[in-house]
Parts: sequence; C-alpha cells; structure tokens
Amino acid sequence: MAAAALRDQLTALLSSMFSQGLVDEQFQQLQMLQDEGGTPGFVSEVVTLFCDDADRIINEIATLLEQPVVNFDKVDAYVHQLKGSSASVGAQKVKFTCMQFRQFCQDKSRDGCLMALAVVRNDFYDLRNKFQTMLQLEQQIQAYDPKQQ
Amino acid sequence: MAAAAQAPAAAKVVVATSPRAGGGGGGGGDRKVVPVVVAAAAGDEAQSEMHVLAVDDSSVDRAVIAKILRSSKYRVTTVESATRALELLCLGLVPNVNMIITDYWMPGMTGYELLKRVKESSQLKEIPVVIMSSENVPNRISRCLEEGAEDFLLKPVRPSDVSRLCSRIR
Repeated sequence: MAAAALRDQLTALLSSMFSQGLVDEQFQQLQMLQDEGGTPGFVSEVVTLFCDDADRIINEIATLLEQPVVNFDKVDAYVHQLKGSSASVGAQKVKFTCMQFRQFCQDKSRDGCLMALAVVRNDFYDLRNKFQTMLQLEQQIQAYDPKQQ
Repeated sequence: MAAAAQAPAAAKVVVATSPRAGGGGGGGGDRKVVPVVVAAAAGDEAQSEMHVLAVDDSSVDRAVIAKILRSSKYRVTTVESATRALELLCLGLVPNVNMIITDYWMPGMTGYELLKRVKESSQLKEIPVVIMSSENVPNRISRCLEEGAEDFLLKPVRPSDVSRLCSRIR
C-alpha cells in the first residue's frame, strides 16, 4: 500500500513537472530509454550529471559577470553549454531562459545578463529540487520492491 | 544500385543474407560502408559487433548519446575531446571503430576539424563520421556533408535518429 502511494506521488510530481513546462519530451525519451533498456540508474545518472554541470556553469558565469570588464563572448560560451546540457536532459524551462540570456550576451548588456543569471539560477534551483524529490521517491519505491533494483 | 557493383563480392553476400537489407537497401546504396559490412557478422549479430566512438565535451551529452547507441546494440567508447579521439584512432587504441559520432562545437579541436583529419587520413578515411550540433545552421551542415560527413544530427539526439543511422550504416 505504501509503495502504491509513493508511486502515485511520483506520477503526480512528474505530471506537474510536464504541465509547468519544467521538462519536455526529451526527458520522457530518457525515461523510456531507461525503462526499455532495463537500466534503472540511467535517468538518475543523467540528472545528476546535469545538476553538477549546471551548478558549475552558473558559478562560472557569476564570476565572469563580477569582473570590472566583462568578457561577454566567454559568458555566451558558458550559456551555450548550459543550453546544450538542458536540451539533452529535457530541462525545457532552463533551456528557454538560456536562449534569452544569449540575447543579452550578444547585446553586451551587463544588467541584462545579471537579470538573466538570476532567472536561470532560480529556474535551475527549482528544477533541481524537483529532480531530487523525484530521485528520493524512486529510491523509496525501489526499497519496497527489490526486484526493480 | 550502381554503387553495389563497386562493393567486393564478400560484402554483397553479407548484405544479401541480412534480413533488413532488402527493404531499406536503396537509401544507403551509395554509402561507403564496405569495411563495416566486411568486418561484421551477418544478421542481427552484425549490429552487436558495431563499435562507435562518441566524441562530446559535455558529460551530459556523452551519457545520453552512449545510452541511445547502446540501446541500439552498438558498442560505445566515449571521449571528451576531438584531440583525444584522434590520438586514440591514430595510435590504434580503439581498433575496429565502425563509426565516429562527434559534437560539432568543442573547445580546442572542433568536430569539423576532426572530420577533416579523419577524411585526410588514408588509414581512417573509410570510417563514417556523423556530426551532431545543437544549432541548425544550413551552411555549417552543407560544409560538413561536403567534407564527407555521413550525416548531420541536430541535438538533442533522439533514439529515432540513431535507428535511422543504424539501418543505413551496417
């Protein structure tokens, strides 16, 4: 009974992530790859790589924007990287924010970039929290059913 | 069909015994897949023998592309830079590579430069090279195809893109 309740919770979380546009069909593709391949750790692996990567890139961008003279090409290269990782994992909202961010880089607007950084950071933290909850629920579900491990 | 005449007899025999060659053979007729076909065994086992070298500087993208390729029964080696890929290929440290799939834009050597180096090398030029990019830039795509790229995939790469490749490169 408890496992079923956890599964319902996980399903509700995932559907809210889709309906809010946090993740898109690419994320669904990754889940399907995991289920079809019988490799339970795959989504968790990719999500963890994404979160580590995004965290590192956001910190790099913040450091660059603090410099007295901002190297906008360098900022743009990092935003491009973050956009790529977001697209691969299906983190749609972060990806869209990155696309707007790149416009501010091309305009060489420090204020615009700082604003975009705040938005991207916020979107990423929100997504990371949800991913973490998702992984915890999956672990709890697996603990009930060792065959899925 | 004219291209089939250029293929050695041995390759033609393998193609003829392959269950999927009859239906989808037309599209890949002009591709230089001869070494791949000769090296691999017939039928479904041919795919399990296929070895792909995947090159991408993003750890997330490496994990995703490797997973997609493995789910299509490819054997996969991943590396984080074009320089490292070229090193491994030239030193023969990853023998029997049937395909290289590389990101276009990477720091240091780009995927485009890797493609050119592979096609310039008498030892490596027969290996099909597939380029991936997140940006849909038409003249970038045509430049890669002119340099001999097998295909150009837009990121994020989908399992359906790889199954399409699978049916062509074998």
